[in-house]
Amino acid sequence: MRGITLLVFICYSNILFGQKNIPNISITNFQNKSVKIQDELKKDNITILSFWATWCVPCINELDAISDVYEEWQEDLNIELLAISTDDSRTQKRIKPMVNGKGWEYKILLDKNQELKRALNISGIPHTLVLKGNKIIFRRPGYSAGAEDELYEFIKEFKNSK
Amino acid sequence: MNSTLNKFLSIFVFFGGLEIAEAQKKDDLSIGFESNSQYYIDDKKTGDFKELERFRSNNYLKVDYSYDNFFIGFQTESYAPDALLNYAPSLDQTNIALYYAGYKSEKLEVTAGYFYEQYGSGLILRSWEDRQLGINNALRGGRFKFTPHKSIELSGFYANQREGFDVSEGDIMGFNSEISLSEWLKFDHASLGIGLSYVGRNQTATIDNPEFKNLTNAFSGRIDYSQGNFFSSLEYVYKSGDAVIIFDQVRNVKDGNALELNLGYSKKGLGINTTFRRMENMSFYSDRDATGNVFNSNVINYIPALTKQHDYLLTNIYVYQAQPQISFQDITLIKAGEIGGQFDLFYQIKKNSFLGGKRGAKIAFNYSFWHGLKGDYDYENFDYTTEFLGFGEKYFTDMSLEFRKKISNDWTSIFYFVKQFYNKRFIEETFGEIKTNILVGESTYKMSKGKALRFELQHLWSKDDRKNWVGGTLEFNVNSSLAFYINDIYNYGSDDPSENIHYYNVGGSYIFGANRASLNYGRQRGGLICVGGVCRFVPESTGLTASIVLSL
Repeated sequence: MRGITLLVFICYSNILFGQKNIPNISITNFQNKSVKIQDELKKDNITILSFWATWCVPCINELDAISDVYEEWQEDLNIELLAISTDDSRTQKRIKPMVNGKGWEYKILLDKNQELKRALNISGIPHTLVLKGNKIIFRRPGYSAGAEDELYEFIKEFKNSK
Repeated sequence: MNSTLNKFLSIFVFFGGLEIAEAQKKDDLSIGFESNSQYYIDDKKTGDFKELERFRSNNYLKVDYSYDNFFIGFQTESYAPDALLNYAPSLDQTNIALYYAGYKSEKLEVTAGYFYEQYGSGLILRSWEDRQLGINNALRGGRFKFTPHKSIELSGFYANQREGFDVSEGDIMGFNSEISLSEWLKFDHASLGIGLSYVGRNQTATIDNPEFKNLTNAFSGRIDYSQGNFFSSLEYVYKSGDAVIIFDQVRNVKDGNALELNLGYSKKGLGINTTFRRMENMSFYSDRDATGNVFNSNVINYIPALTKQHDYLLTNIYVYQAQPQISFQDITLIKAGEIGGQFDLFYQIKKNSFLGGKRGAKIAFNYSFWHGLKGDYDYENFDYTTEFLGFGEKYFTDMSLEFRKKISNDWTSIFYFVKQFYNKRFIEETFGEIKTNILVGESTYKMSKGKALRFELQHLWSKDDRKNWVGGTLEFNVNSSLAFYINDIYNYGSDDPSENIHYYNVGGSYIFGANRASLNYGRQRGGLICVGGVCRFVPESTGLTASIVLSL
């Protein structure tokens, strides 16, 4: 009961509906160095964060699909995609060969013990976020073929409305 | 517990008030809610549901709030009227399960309450959460992380480990350092880092005059080196002598160790990776008596099976589980660890080549093999000596080849072949050896924005155990938010007619904003559910499952 009262209170305190910042969690870059996620984002541009893992088929389908049109997206929308691997040590060693083997051009970051994923309250992957600077403007769990087109449309509309 | 709850409520009310007073937004609130419920029914084919509660539900509410450099949060969990089948019996109430508060700046982070931690690959320490597996081995105590220079990270903690809604009897302490030598030595084109860790577990022995110490020490040394397209890592872990518990009694005192070596090479269009690992007596629990428990409770370190994590129903029937533990089942079934490795190859076939066709294709190959440790085993005295690089009994081999091809702009297909050897007697400590060949074909047809059809056909050939299986999946995405699926695997090959069972599932999911709801009806195959190389046993069951995940 108290939990519910608390939730109601928080909702009415008007913070729930505000745009959220991405929490400034440390993650690891491809050179195995610790970096802060906010430092990896372009301050005034749009960044797509895609949470994935080497063993997650829909995640790979999504990243493969965007990879085909990534050059156009970068040109049209001036965006960058950060592919955030949630692989744990069982499959972490597979990330580098897989990313190169697939020829992905994304910047890869490693959320080794899933601290960023947990801080964002992400339950399952794939999970895609769109950020403007540090602000989260869009979130979507799951992926089905063609959903990348909707993502493109969303970003395009967002940019046009500004 | 109620007083803790009250304290937290007052803190939240306080922070909420601050937020309203403060015009400039420095704070953030993040809420996650997940609910997984199942109603179990009787099944004519697989038998009646024998437990007391037919409706079972696991629920998690996590709230995080930060203000400037301060953060605070909690997670409540509810298993009511009971937890889903085969979750640990200690998950039996509705209460605050985790709470934490702390301060975080560029150089310093301090946490009090519950936290998750991992040193290196986790071979010496990993605490994490996996709700599907019912694992939450968070630590409760105090932790600091200090970064005096951009090339040095230090951290330490003193804690007890979460166990259900309580904490472990054993105290755990740890210290970790990560040093980037390439930063110091100003390497231009190479990266060199080392890591040193200590983890101790202190638990008063419950027997008289024990030959082991209350404090068990573990040390880990790691080195990572990469240059250009080449990357490598080496880790060695030593665990000091501790009680060997077999059939609930202390039988011996042995130390343990683990060695893991990884070498890889990758450039655009090609990736290769090889891993070798040897482990001897590396089980490590926050409570000695929890050794080998089936609920993955009290686990201090993370020992995943280093094999390919397969994606299809029939490829996940015979799943290897890492064998770090000592076991003396009978004179012919003795284990002290494992030795083996795996090899991965990723290759992009060029466009306009014979195999690649107009759009190119992608290949992924994996081979893994695992054996017991070769050595002299003394069943009478529960003792052994092992050879350093000796391969003993073969436990498991797995070879898989994936071929992924975009046939046209709208069609993508995957062909997948797997060949396995599974030594059920040694892995599960029951009986039998199983050889399988599995073939999977999958195609996705993209119709328009978000509308897509995906189907899958699979077959497993085996002369052993339950013999041949066939399976199929059909998935239809109405749009990117709404999807329906139906799948079935059928064990038609078993000689025992009572095992000729269809394990069918039908369901759908709906995504709204950052949230997802799903509904499933069907029959669950009994066996292991594995995530990240860690498995949980689930019994056969039939019923209706509903899940909801909210991220606010």
